[in-house]
Amino acid sequence: MNKLMRIDEVVGAIPAGATIAVGGSSLSRKPMSLVRALAARGRGDFRLIVDVGGPEVDMLLGTEKVREVIYAFVGFEIMGLSPHFRRARESGSVAFQEWTEFTVMAGLDATVKRVPFLPTHVGLGTDVLAVNGAFRRFADPFGGETLVAVPALAPDFALIHVNLADPQGNGVILGDGHVDVLCAKAAKRTILSAERVVSAEELQRYGRDVQIHRIHVDGVVEAQWGAHFTGCAPYYRADLRHVQDYLAAARDPSSWAEYVDRFIGDRHQDYIAAVGGAEALIGRLEV
Amino acid sequence: MSEQRSAGPASPPAAEAAYTIDELMITVMARQLQGEVLVSSVTALGALAAHLAKRTHAPDLAVLSTPESGMEVAPIPTLTLGQFLTDAQQGIPLTMEDIFDAIFLDRFRIWINPAQVDRHGHVNITAIGPWDHPKVALVGSRGIPEDTSHLSEIFYYVTSHTPRSIVEQVDFRSGAGYGPERAAELGRPGSPTLLLTNLGLFDWSGPNHTLGVVSLHPGVSPDAVREATPFPLALVDPVPTTAEPTAMDLALIRAADPLDVRKLEFLAGRAAAEGVVNIYERERQALHAAVWPHRGRSR
Repeated sequence: MNKLMRIDEVVGAIPAGATIAVGGSSLSRKPMSLVRALAARGRGDFRLIVDVGGPEVDMLLGTEKVREVIYAFVGFEIMGLSPHFRRARESGSVAFQEWTEFTVMAGLDATVKRVPFLPTHVGLGTDVLAVNGAFRRFADPFGGETLVAVPALAPDFALIHVNLADPQGNGVILGDGHVDVLCAKAAKRTILSAERVVSAEELQRYGRDVQIHRIHVDGVVEAQWGAHFTGCAPYYRADLRHVQDYLAAARDPSSWAEYVDRFIGDRHQDYIAAVGGAEALIGRLEV
Repeated sequence: MSEQRSAGPASPPAAEAAYTIDELMITVMARQLQGEVLVSSVTALGALAAHLAKRTHAPDLAVLSTPESGMEVAPIPTLTLGQFLTDAQQGIPLTMEDIFDAIFLDRFRIWINPAQVDRHGHVNITAIGPWDHPKVALVGSRGIPEDTSHLSEIFYYVTSHTPRSIVEQVDFRSGAGYGPERAAELGRPGSPTLLLTNLGLFDWSGPNHTLGVVSLHPGVSPDAVREATPFPLALVDPVPTTAEPTAMDLALIRAADPLDVRKLEFLAGRAAAEGVVNIYERERQALHAAVWPHRGRSR
């Protein structure tokens, strides 16, 4: 089945209030072309699930598309804190659930395994259990020790950026996998954006690097440089110059309006032109 | 505190003081790593400590070049190229499941740099002020709860030892220290093990698992540490002095970090931003020089 879609069709398919898991990790392989389109035209009121989040959370908060964020981390690594996340956390304008890296994975895995929760020791002795009512302590029915029940996380959609995909929805990831396979399996509908769409025959040559399997995928969008301004190993690195511009804009409401105007839309080609064109990106970012 | 490098022609022989605080800290961090365990390289200091340990006393360490992949490569600290290094050096790629399994099995070690560390070993990277209306929202607990509920040894470092980072009680416990809750619910020995700062090395061997001094760095007085610490510290008399890096330690650290990424962790504001740009513009060249000829997979 041919699952190729346009970006605007993806935006149209995601209803208001949807729970959306986003793949990637901080400044690595975030599906930014899809995120920008949702930030510009998405219906909003979204619940986001991220393990290690960053620009996607910041941008969707900055464009007021989010009602709740489930996260283990939101930040820009060595580049600094996430301005809109900070503002929303500090003002309380959006709901937040602080999870942890493994518990987000366990919550997604519980959905995959169709069980209501998975047990762990993670979180014991920390304040995560105090502020996040989603978790429950319980006694191991066999030995009696205290465990934490991690409830299932059931995304309506997963958005994942991959190096290569075929039109049927198989996806190749060549760099770190992050938690993308879990997101793809746990979500009711998974949309891939891919640097390049290739034939099924060509894709199959990648063997074990075909990490995302088409039985879990509902849509494929071709978007070269689709992770920009995050990186997509081994093709291109994160654009830290743009990250600096982004952070400066996000810290200041008037320059944020300008940034939104200039860069955030649902036409990926316009964005690539706005950041200087593909030739310039190759020079700055290919490794 | 920044540079300890001796300067000027009138200075005494350079050999003894010709290192900087980052290099001293990396050396101390390296000495704690041993055995055949996975070592994470989330920060430049942690990556260099793992590299140094492996090249000196701990050859069996399985060092990662990024937070989640690239086992068996020599980590070169960069800002954006960790995953490219995995590929270029044909590192063994690991998955997040591999990482957390190693943590749960206690076959994983990491040096973590929290925003706050407290007297009882709790750490915070989540928020300054109350969680639901923080004065400053930081980043979220990330993987620290995983570490503090499973590892028998856990190491923290702070590059600026002040009453803002070393506190009586953290504002939010992202990681479990010592206390009644640990005893009741985790009941495991060990963690947290050590705290290294720019002033000294500490552990929780004081009364009721409170912070005590293991050693102070050369030139740091007990009074200086007391002034920078907002609660009474357990001190032995005389206080041992932290062992300095050897010439070989320094050569290994500098060769592994040609871009001086390790210095960024000691900078703030404008100097940090300039440092980032400077490294970012040069790091592709450094990667190519370090791993040439390219052995990576083709596209």
